[in-house]
Amino acid sequence: MKKAPFLGGYAILYLLFLYGPIIILPLFAFNDGRIVAFPLNGFTTRWFTEMFADAQLKKALLNSLTIALSSATLATVLGVFAARATVRYRWPGKPAALGLIMVPLVLPEMIVAMALLVVLLSIGIPLSIFTIILGHVLICMPFAVAILTSAFQSLDRSLEEASLDLGETQWSTFRLIVLPLVMPGILSSFLITFTISIDEFIISNFLGSGQPILSVYIFGQFRFPAKVPSMLALGTLLVLFSICMLAIAEYFRRRGIAKTGGKDTGGFL
Amino acid sequence: MTITEKTMIEFRDVHKYYGDYHALRGINGTIRAGEFFSLLGPSGCGKTTLLRTIAGFEDISSGVIMIDGKDMADVAPNARPTNMVFQSYAIFPHMSVAENVGFGLRRDPRSKADKARAVEEALDMVGLRGFGARAAHALSGGQRQRVALARALILKPKVLLLDEPLSALDKKMREHMQVELIKLQRQVGITFILVTHDQEEALVMSDRVAVMFEGEIAQLADPETLYRRPNSKQVADFIGTMNFIPVTVLSEAGDTVEIEAKGLGRVSLDASLAPPVRGESPVVGMRPETLTLLYDDQKAAERETEGVIDEVIYFGDMTYYDVYLGGTDVEVRLSMRNVPGRPVLEVGTKVRVAWSPSALVLFR
Repeated sequence: MKKAPFLGGYAILYLLFLYGPIIILPLFAFNDGRIVAFPLNGFTTRWFTEMFADAQLKKALLNSLTIALSSATLATVLGVFAARATVRYRWPGKPAALGLIMVPLVLPEMIVAMALLVVLLSIGIPLSIFTIILGHVLICMPFAVAILTSAFQSLDRSLEEASLDLGETQWSTFRLIVLPLVMPGILSSFLITFTISIDEFIISNFLGSGQPILSVYIFGQFRFPAKVPSMLALGTLLVLFSICMLAIAEYFRRRGIAKTGGKDTGGFL
Repeated sequence: MTITEKTMIEFRDVHKYYGDYHALRGINGTIRAGEFFSLLGPSGCGKTTLLRTIAGFEDISSGVIMIDGKDMADVAPNARPTNMVFQSYAIFPHMSVAENVGFGLRRDPRSKADKARAVEEALDMVGLRGFGARAAHALSGGQRQRVALARALILKPKVLLLDEPLSALDKKMREHMQVELIKLQRQVGITFILVTHDQEEALVMSDRVAVMFEGEIAQLADPETLYRRPNSKQVADFIGTMNFIPVTVLSEAGDTVEIEAKGLGRVSLDASLAPPVRGESPVVGMRPETLTLLYDDQKAAERETEGVIDEVIYFGDMTYYDVYLGGTDVEVRLSMRNVPGRPVLEVGTKVRVAWSPSALVLFR
């Protein structure tokens, strides 16, 4: 193999550029000073106290969690149906249906959000958390369907036939054989769609009707310099939360692979 | 278990279409209770489709399939008295060996201890005693197959369906499992139906074989009849090696046909043994082992013909010779066992070949 030392350096710079800014978050979240600038002024936890005292933030967080959990669950459940239907059965209009599911992936989200707003208003559905969930399910579906389709495709059809052959019904076969074997895919889909939903901004902003939503709320708070440090504290907690989620997902993925004797292909996608 | 005359499976004019494709074209025939039956044919001949219609995984377009006297038209796979060993074995990867084998007992009202004993017995039967706690994915190919067998047999089906179960194994293992399967079938006495494209495997294992081409059963017979009296050139060609020699029919009187075979001369054959006339240009077929090289002053028991060796293929225990017959361009392959004191001959050697008219099969 030829040596290319500058490639290694390039990779390190690249990673620093990607992840370096994230280190700024905890750094200034614990910095005793309202202005986000070096030099640091000493350690404090008051930004966290300030953040926890913010009632609006609590409400926004609760709303966002409700939206993300609902959207991820809905998108994943619908994704299971869609993936199963595309992998196992032939039906008229299948390519068109699949294409339509995938369209939000390439449509500018701004357009989707505007179109949804116009339609919802014109048919008289009041904006609420529910309308945000609808929008999020729409943009989450392509990801859920893509992940779950590949999970269903790797399932050997004769496993289901063997179960039927051994006396089980269609439904018990799905529960006993199909679900456990596509579970890693379901988990992946849930995590990805949850992540997409929780930091989604445009649809949340358009269809939100003034309800505090985390992403919209954070954006709003950044207009007030005094609020910035407590937002960094919030960011620190969110990063920690993401790392925990990833670790859990990775644990289950590896356990699934070990249990079924599959080959580790790397990422949990 | 002896094979009875009792019919286990009956096909009556079974057709199967996939869209425009006619996969099964009027299957008729019966499979007897307790027999080891094979569906043999090249890929795409419909043998797997036929097996899957027995299991109920494929609907039939028309016709009737009866299992043990009952019409299977509206019977779902999970209600049929059949179990299947899949080509991929279809071992549930998220379960242990014991959970796999015991899967079919989930709806069994017996106690847990009784079921565990049944699983242990089934594992014992396939030579996997004590493997119950292992993870299914950690097994070798041969072991997976045994698990698949135990899992299918634990429900004591009337018919066990085997879809090319040996094709994924290496040659040694395959030959070993062939014998094991035969023994197992005798032990449990269940009707076995095997799908295979390997003619040798079908001959070794089966009581009877259905040879299939293009969605039809070309011949249904016991292995010996199939080998010695194939009913068409196609079957003869598919099973083993067969030499074909062009002939002219000279005269026909009653059961006797007089022919002139190129390189062999005039022969009279018993027409009652010959397969049905199909209107093809007439040939006679002869198996390599029905031809014998004569050494030194050996004399032919019936007929002999002179020839020249064109090719020598050495197999260790056997040697195949390709020989031009009687100064013609008709070449036949014959096989000789290599025994001490009988040297392997060289290309170009002039030889005498002994043969018997009764070993000839006339296709016309």
